[in-house]
Amino acid sequence: MTGRALAAMVQARLYVSRGFVLYACAAAALAAWLAPAGAAVPLLLCSALGIVAALEQTPGRHPHLDRCEQSAPLFGRELARAKALIPCAAAIAAVAVYAAVQIVRGLPDTGETAWTAGVAVVATTLVALSATLRRGWTRVLYVVSAGAVAGAAYAVAVVAPRSIAAESLFCAVVAFIALRQYGETLARYDPV
Amino acid sequence: MRDGSVSKHDGVVVLAARVEGYCQMPLLRMREASFSNASVSAGPVTLDLGAGRRAALRFETAQQATVVALMASGIAKASNGCVLVGDYDPRVQSVHCKRIAAFVAHDPLGLDDAEFSRYVAYRAALWSVDLRSARTRARELLERLDGMHEAFAYPLIGALIAKPQLLVMDRPAPVYARNILGVIDDVALLTTHVHAGSVAAFER
Repeated sequence: MTGRALAAMVQARLYVSRGFVLYACAAAALAAWLAPAGAAVPLLLCSALGIVAALEQTPGRHPHLDRCEQSAPLFGRELARAKALIPCAAAIAAVAVYAAVQIVRGLPDTGETAWTAGVAVVATTLVALSATLRRGWTRVLYVVSAGAVAGAAYAVAVVAPRSIAAESLFCAVVAFIALRQYGETLARYDPV
Repeated sequence: MRDGSVSKHDGVVVLAARVEGYCQMPLLRMREASFSNASVSAGPVTLDLGAGRRAALRFETAQQATVVALMASGIAKASNGCVLVGDYDPRVQSVHCKRIAAFVAHDPLGLDDAEFSRYVAYRAALWSVDLRSARTRARELLERLDGMHEAFAYPLIGALIAKPQLLVMDRPAPVYARNILGVIDDVALLTTHVHAGSVAAFER
């Protein structure tokens, strides 16, 4: 897949979801203005936004984009990477807005907080993406799993061993597995 | 294009179109191709369609028409039977099939001028077509489709930008048959329909 095709897909999807992205960023800004310092609020809030952004990619919500992507000469794994980038970009934008407002407020450890939230948000979003290709209880299971990943990332980063490196490693492993699984599922996905 | 045979399967009447007197390898070959999942079943369809030829198939339901169109364009994989687009099997070489066949959905696409320009750029990027030539071709096609409602013309233009060898249209509006047939030039055309009148419009 060319960079141009990837950029076009991300741009088109973000354009049709621009309302959601704006509301997500506004919610992050409001929360950052009101919440105390710490990773709990940005991590959990932006993870929730990431899950919603992932579910926004469910086939059928934007049928003409779905059909264009399905009929384009792209391999399943390429399509998976591009589609994974879209909700991650939306969720990371919310984390960036949160961090920016925290900087404006002059709160400490903003960079550390943003990193902690950012890696958790990516892992959570990628797990939630698999829910978009499923229906019924398996869909619910993936959404719950995504929430559990956010909780586990928070526990690793803040509660028990307090290690951002360990949290980053945990999230990287989860994100890698989730992306591979999403790619395989998308390659076998029946568009009818 | 002439109809060769009529087969009946599970209450679905399928007109099997066969191009007579065509010595080259058909661009689209469907052999008893059917699709079924929990919610829909379509086919079997048997069809040979050569380069530059046309075929119009009629089905009992819109869903069946859509599914067969998706199978013929390599998007949906046949559950039984065989589909070959060019020399490629969509089950294992779907990317190659999608370089040959373009699909136009039934639903209209409501875009304003700015969005249409973005849509052309988007399609050009996905099919790795030079943006400038895509825009030129889109303008030219839009002029040739004068009189056709934009919402129906835009998806057709989007599909033709990449210069496919085969165009598969799901239930195109018969009122625009003349516009569509006038713009596809030597591209092979497969259309699926529900009404006999629509089939007749695309067989002329």
